Formats: sequence, structure tokens, C-alpha cells
Amino acid sequence: MTLSQLSLEARQVDPSLPLLEVDQLVMHYKIKAGSVSAVDNVTFTLHQGEAIGLVGESGCGKTSVALSLLRLLPQNAQHISGEIRLNGENLLWLSAEEMRQRRWKDIAMVFQGAMNSWNPVYRVGDQIREALDTHYRGVMTYAEQRAHMEKLFAAVGLPADMLDRYPHEFSGGMRQRAVIAMALSCGPQLIIADEPTTALDVIVQDQILKELKRIQADLGMSIVYISHDIAVIAEVTDSLGVMYAGNLVEYGPTADVFARPRHPYAYLLLRSTPSITGPRRKLAPLQGEPPDLLNPPTGCRFHPRCPFATERCAVENPPLEDIGGGHKVACWHWDQVPELEGLQR
Amino acid sequence: MTTTKDQGADHGAATGAVAAGSPASDAFAHQPLWKVRLALWRRSLGKTWGLFRENKMGMFGLGLILLFACMAIAHPILMATVWDPKIYDPVTGYSAVELQFVIVEGEPTDPSTQISLQEARLRLNPTVKVGQTVTIPVQPAPPSLKGPNPHLLGTDPQGRDILSQLLYSTRAAFFLGAVAALTTVLIATTVGSIAAYFGGFIDGSLMRLSDLILLMPLLPVLILVSALFEINMVMLGLMIGVLGGFGGVAIVLKAQALSVKVKSYIDAARVAGGTHWHIVLRHIIPNVLPLSFLYMMFGVTEAIAIEATLSFFGLLNVPMTWGIMINTAQNNGYLLSGTSYWWLLFPAGLAVTFLCFGFFLVGRGMDEVINPRLRAR
Amino acid sequence: MTVADRSMAPSAPSSELPLLDIVDLQMHFPVSRGLFRAPTEFVHAVDGISFEIAPGESLGLVGESGCGKSTTGRMLVKLLEPTGGSIMFRDRDYERDVAHIKGKETKEFRRRVQMIFQDPYESMNPRRTIFDTVSEPLAVQKVGNVPEREQRVLELLRLVGLTPAENFLFRYPHELSGGQRQRVAVARALVMNPSFIVADEPTSMLDVSIRISVMELMAGLAREFQVSYLYITHDLAVARYMCDRIAVMYLGKIVEIGPTEEILSRPQHPYTRALLSAVPVPDPSQKRTAVEIKGGVSKPVNPPPECRFIERCPFAAEVCRTNPHPPLELRGDRHYVACYRVDEINAAIAAAAG
Repeated sequence: MTLSQLSLEARQVDPSLPLLEVDQLVMHYKIKAGSVSAVDNVTFTLHQGEAIGLVGESGCGKTSVALSLLRLLPQNAQHISGEIRLNGENLLWLSAEEMRQRRWKDIAMVFQGAMNSWNPVYRVGDQIREALDTHYRGVMTYAEQRAHMEKLFAAVGLPADMLDRYPHEFSGGMRQRAVIAMALSCGPQLIIADEPTTALDVIVQDQILKELKRIQADLGMSIVYISHDIAVIAEVTDSLGVMYAGNLVEYGPTADVFARPRHPYAYLLLRSTPSITGPRRKLAPLQGEPPDLLNPPTGCRFHPRCPFATERCAVENPPLEDIGGGHKVACWHWDQVPELEGLQR
Repeated sequence: MTTTKDQGADHGAATGAVAAGSPASDAFAHQPLWKVRLALWRRSLGKTWGLFRENKMGMFGLGLILLFACMAIAHPILMATVWDPKIYDPVTGYSAVELQFVIVEGEPTDPSTQISLQEARLRLNPTVKVGQTVTIPVQPAPPSLKGPNPHLLGTDPQGRDILSQLLYSTRAAFFLGAVAALTTVLIATTVGSIAAYFGGFIDGSLMRLSDLILLMPLLPVLILVSALFEINMVMLGLMIGVLGGFGGVAIVLKAQALSVKVKSYIDAARVAGGTHWHIVLRHIIPNVLPLSFLYMMFGVTEAIAIEATLSFFGLLNVPMTWGIMINTAQNNGYLLSGTSYWWLLFPAGLAVTFLCFGFFLVGRGMDEVINPRLRAR
Repeated sequence: MTVADRSMAPSAPSSELPLLDIVDLQMHFPVSRGLFRAPTEFVHAVDGISFEIAPGESLGLVGESGCGKSTTGRMLVKLLEPTGGSIMFRDRDYERDVAHIKGKETKEFRRRVQMIFQDPYESMNPRRTIFDTVSEPLAVQKVGNVPEREQRVLELLRLVGLTPAENFLFRYPHELSGGQRQRVAVARALVMNPSFIVADEPTSMLDVSIRISVMELMAGLAREFQVSYLYITHDLAVARYMCDRIAVMYLGKIVEIGPTEEILSRPQHPYTRALLSAVPVPDPSQKRTAVEIKGGVSKPVNPPPECRFIERCPFAAEVCRTNPHPPLELRGDRHYVACYRVDEINAAIAAAAG
């Protein structure tokens, strides 16, 4: 590792090269009552410099995927099968120590609830310095570290003197900016942003999302966004995956998925999301409740709530199929899902 | 107001029309409310028990407590059936056990089977010789199964049966623990809930009182009080309870009550028009109570330990307790005799230790049931 | 009944007297300076706001956290005692200023108002059954006997879509999902047949798919029973579907108030514009016209007299600095804006858009 890799200049990006490949990932949680099938057969690819989003409701497995990428899953999680490859290297085969070195340096994270990311008794600057010390011991002098951190803060729109402040002196938005600076500190290629703006007010959320978008473009960063808020995902991502009950049910270019959602769940999710622009669409609530993943439904996991379900759906689980243009859907009846536009009135 | 005017009698018919759902709730549909509540209470108790059962240490503690409970129950039964009160009464019984000793030269190495020549001459007659086996009535007598009135754990220096004393004291320990713990919890729950809910001046005065009581060293205060006044078990239990209840436990329960107070169901109850008493009684106290029970367990432990200490010093006006048993041994000079007279010290000492340990373990076990954070996944 | 139908309905005729008439409502919290020193600093959480709510109308109160919207809601149900102003409440035979009532009078007033809370996991006592929770207002107000209350609770559980109701009656909150709990909360709010409900972010913690059905439920029941809502939310999209009118709050002041579609399509206050342009749109093809503002919300401790928004306002001028906080002025159909430079800003934005 050399200093140059830590510089905050644009990385050479080849959008055709895959950076992160998640291949048929299956993940269970072991609890007393049995085995919870949290992630079931999730496959997607993130190219260099790209931003993708995973969207879904609570319990759909999106956070479990994010934690799997970082290998930060709780003790009772069991990796059943599948691979997670970063630059072709399977992260699931790395030892705990090797993985610890990858974190921050190759993959960094921006989590929900920025207050919890900081230790309240240390200055923010010192906490970032600690990360630098861990991964680049002896590479930088104290002054170089300081200069690097000042550049980081400038990159996320914070004044340099905030480095000497304590976390409680930051407002919610500033704290989240500092978290992003921390994530960038060791020069990662990939950032996992799990609900990065959930606790923030709209105006601050907007500022943070713009900041992340700018950083992605300026530094050639790749970002995986995890959110329950489909509108947030729509703003910032190139590709989008919709998750339901541990399954990736639809995946494709964000604009495509939004214009023509082909999975009934994605379609209904969009239909039930209120918007402040455009005509007032009639909102359609989804019937029923998400399934119990201790005993997931047979066949397609969405079939008990699906208005298009047939007998086949209750028996056979549909594979994720490409329906053209990289738009993939896991549904037997994707061609029956109506157009979204036709329903606007 | 639009509350329907259907009377209770029609109520079964109205609800019976609905198709069967979950069997548990269905069973309630036609019953009077108190029966439903009883069933719900039993169900939740069953659930709590199920969780507690998985905790091995807690179950071990419960086993210990049950063992002691059996001992406490056994005493009156034994006194009424097999034990002759003249001999076995824990306080007034007397029995001199005749034992055989070998007379040795100088100091005996094993006082339970040997006796020095000097002492043998003093107690029998001057003609005995070294090496001779003699029979002498002794107290304290070591444990033995022999004779018409066997003393399983021997006798104390006044010829009283140790086992009888031990069993009798168990009852006293339970009684004291219960009085002290109930008082503690009653006071602490009330004080904590009221201080937390009302805040302000009431909170301030109650908490300053708690600080004052926390500052007082409990044991010296109790020693002083019992030296000045004659104290029996009930008074001791109440005192330990009051001091504990206003002190540390009140502060812990207040913290719990504070965390309940900020929940929005308290606001909901206020918007409904609920009075302060309604909120404290129906919302705050029920949510503080599990923690109260936990502290009750620890309270029993503390009370038993304090009682043992006080009666060891001979400061309590009670007939017999574990502390008094040790005190008797000490008064007669057997405390420092090592393991030679172990039956004078160990039964009472171990009983105090194990009963306290048992309540402590049950407390820890309950802690895991009450605090899901501590529960192993 | 759908959410869409609700706000399409004409609002109550203006000749009718408002249910709530709030004038110059204030809540100043003292900043504690130690036990024996009188406080000299006050957080002006709500600083002289006035609005009306018509019978059956739903008013949305939107703004960022710390703008005083929740404080306002809590004052209207008497969870907080206002430090100034009046709350005139007119309901059938009941008419009085409830801002400073106490004791028995408050209890009497609470037969007519209710509140729905944000967190469905905290708004119910975990140790009480659904029956206890829903019937609590009846019990504390001593309405009916136990079988009657049970009937009423069953009736409401059916009304909010928890069927078969008998199966829910003696459940505990933890046995229910978030959406079901929020339905129970709606049932509890309706059990006394109130004429006014304060709903404090009732759907913000629910998943999207469940959110819509709870919104629909609330809107439908409001129409059916002529209930007025004060709907507190940070989410303008939700407010659009739930509210007849929207009031935008900033640091304790209402800066803009008017009919929902009017506010969303023709915002006039720079803060409302910024708020609207910051809302993410679930449609990547939509391009938003941006009014960007800097920084975050500060705390209104002894605020200066001039416009509250002045520090972050991209259009602030001399007139804003020399005058007190602007009053609400009529700028269209029932559309009031508190800004001195509405015309200049409209012109500037029109010019920028070309």
C-alpha cells in the first residue's frame, strides 16, 4: 500500500469490470425455534464506479446482505452457500484477521444512526486517526495524517477545525458527513451505506445524498445503498435490487425498474409509495403481512400476498430471469404485471 | 357516547358467530373477565417459568431453596413424631451422650476419641491409666447414629441437638427473609415509582432520603439499634426492609420507572383522562414489578446474612438461629478449635452460605428472564 | 374508501364555526440554570402560532425535527400546558378556551380529544391486553360496565380491520405486528367517539406496504365519524394523501399554511420551497427544481425578533433584517405566507427558470 492510493483523486474506473460479485448467497440465522432463512439465493454484480441499491421492507434480508459483505454478521448467523467476491477474491474464505484488514481499507461502511458510530469521549479527528493508524501504521507522519484528514473533511463539506471537536458538538447531518469522511479515510473502493439518511430530516438527507453522489463521481467510488425508502434509492443509484423475504425478486437498471416494475411486489411497492410530484396516483396497499422466515412459504415467497399468483407459484420458486437489458425478475407471471403509467390518473 | 347497550347475557351469542381462530383466544370468548385474566396470568407465568427453566444456575438455586424449604417443613413434623422434645428441642432439649475415650499421655491429638490423663482423672477417678478405654458423657458430642437417641449432627456445648437447631433456624431464616424482602420491595416500588412519575419536589425529597440511608452503614446501625432495644425477628425484618427499601433498591427501581415514564403509553393514558394514581398503579408499577421481584431475591440474601451477623454478636432476642448456633460455639471457646469440632460450625455456616447462594442464583436466573438482553440466543 | 378520495372532498363550509380556533399559542421552555436561579433563557419551541381546524378537516403540520410541531400537538391534547395563547374548542354543546383548564375540566375535555402516537411498539403497555388498552379511556372516564366496554372494543376492533375481533381481545401487544398495533392505537383513539385526534407521525415507523393501509383506515374513519385530525408529519408525501390543508412550521413559527395541493404545487415561502425540493422522488425520470439552503436547524433559545429563517434563507434582504418576523399574509386561495419578499422571490425564480 502506498500513499498515492490514499489520495482523494479520482480512481481509474473501468465500468465494465466487476468489483463486487454476490453469487447465490444463502444465509440462515439459528435461533432456538429453528433456522431463519434470512437471505436466500441472492445474486448481483456491482461494477467499478457504480452505485446499486437494495430496497425492501424490514426483515427482507437487505441488512443481512450488507453485513455479509462486511462479514459482520452476528454469532448465530450461518453461511449456507454462495460466494461474495471482491475483485475476484472470495471474502467468505478469508480468515477473520484478513477480513479485518480488508474492512475500511477495501470496504468501508456508513451505517444508520451516526451517533452510535462515534465514541463520545474522543475527538472525531482522533478517531479517524485511529483508523489510519490501524491500516497504515508508519506510512504517514502525524502532519501527513492531519493534512489527509483535512482533505477528507473538505471532501464531505466540513470545516477542518471540526476535527478537533467531540461528536456531541456535531449536528445530525454533520455527524453523518463525518461518518462518510471516516469511511473514505483509508481509501476504500467500495462503501456499504446501510440506511445512511434514515434518521435525518429531509433537507439534511438531501444534502447527504448529494454529497455521496458527488463523492461517487469524483473519486470513482462504488457504493451499495441499503434502504427501506425506495425514493432515496431512486435518487442515487444506477442499478436497483428489490428484496422480499430473503429473495432478490427484481434487479435491473434503476430507471428501468422504476418505469416498468415487472415483479408484482416491486410493482405494488411503487404503487403504494406516495409522491409529492406528478398526478395523485391512487395508492394501492399491499394485502397481508410479510411471511415468517422460520417457515417461509413454499414456492415463490410472495405468492400468499400476490394478486397474480397461480397454483404454480405455490409449488415452484421462480428463478431470477433476464427479461432483456439486464432487467431480471423472479416471477412466473412477470408479463402479466400491468404498466405503472396506465394507472396514474 | 355510543357504547352499545347489549347486556352481558347477549354477549356470548354476539361473539359466538365468529369463525374459529387461534384456539387460545377462542377459549376466552365466552368467559367472564376475571376467568380470562386468571387464564392469561397463568399462561404468562407458564411462559416465564419456561424461560427460567432453561437457566441451569437458576434451577440449581431453586433446588437449593426447595431443599431448605423441605428442611424447614421437616422440623415440626419430626418434633411431633420421632423426636422427644425433652431431648431434641432446639432450645431447651438436653442430652448427654456417653462416648468411649482412650486415655493418652499429654494433649490428645484427636479430642473426639482421646482424652488426656489429667482430665480423665478429674472427671472419673484418679485410678485410670494411660491406654485405658473409658466411657464419659460428653457435650458437645460428635455426630453419631448410635444409641437410643441418635444425634445425626451431634450436640452443641449445652447438649442440644444440632440438626434440630439447624432445621428450626431454617424456618426462622425464611420468615425473616420474606418479611425483609417484602418490605423492601413494597417500599422501594412505591417510592421509586412515585419519585419517577411525579418528579420535582417529591422526587427530590425522596431521593435525598435515599441518599441519607445509603450513607448510613447498615450493619453498624443495626448493631447499635439492637444493642439499645430488644429486637425480635419481625422487627429486624421490617428494619432491614425499610432501610433497604428507601435506599439502594428504591434508586434502582426509580431508574426503571423513569424508563417506563417516557414511553408513549403513559401519554396515551393521560390523554385518555387517567389520573396520576391510575397511571402509577396500572402502568408504572406493573412494569417495575418484575425488577422488584428480582431485588426481592437479593433482599432475602442480604437479610439472612445480616441476621447471621447480628445473632453471632448475640444482639438479637430470638430463641435460635444459625447465627446463634455459631455464637454458642464461639461463647464456649470452640470457634478456634479448627476442624475438631466441625459440627458446631459447619452446619450453620454452610446453611447460611447455601441458602443465600440459592436466592442469589434464583435472582440471577430471573434477571435473565426479565432482561432479554442477557438471554442467550 | 381510499386515501385519494378523502382530500378530494370539499372542506367544510367556511360559514361553519371552526372546531378548533388557536390564537397566538406559545410554549416557552425554560433553560435550566441550576436549582436556585430563575431561568433567563427560554427555548421558544412554539412561538405564537394561530390556525383553525374545521369540523371533519385534517390539517397537516409539517416541518423538520425541532420545529415545534410535536409540541403543538401535545398542547392541543393538554399533555403540555401552553405558556400563552388560547385554544378555543367548539364541539356540539361544548365551547370553551381549553388552553389553561385544569383537573376535572381537563378530564372532561379529554372525552372529546385523542392522540395517536408514532411508535407502535411504545404506545401500548406490554403488560396489558388489547382489551385493556383499547378500553382504557372508557375505564378511566367510567363509561359503561365491563360487558358493555367489551362490546364496544369488539366493535372497534372490527372497524379497524382486526378480525375476528375476539381473537385479538386478549392478546398482548408483543403478539401483534407493527401494523396491527397501529390499528389497535386507532381503535383506542376512536373508542370515546372523539371529535378531534392529534396523530403524531402515526405511520412513520411502519413499512411502506403497511403504511398505506393504516393511512387509508385513518382517512376512512375520519370521514365516517366526522373526526378532525391534526396530522403531524415530516413526510410531505404522506401529508399530501392525508391532509386537506398543510401548515409548514419552522423554529416555532408557521411560515406557510394553505390547501394541500396549493402548497405542493405553488409553494411561496423559501423554506417550503427548499423542503419540497429536498424530498426524494421515487421516480428517477423526474427532475426537481432546486432551492437549496445551507446548514441545519438551530435551537430557538431567546431568538432575535427578525425572521426566523433569515440565517438560512438564500433570498434574505435588508427588509428581513430590519423588520420583526413577518406575519402570515393571504397569497391566494386560503393560502397564507409569512415572508416579506414573496413577490421578489417568485420573480427571481421565474427568471432563473427562464
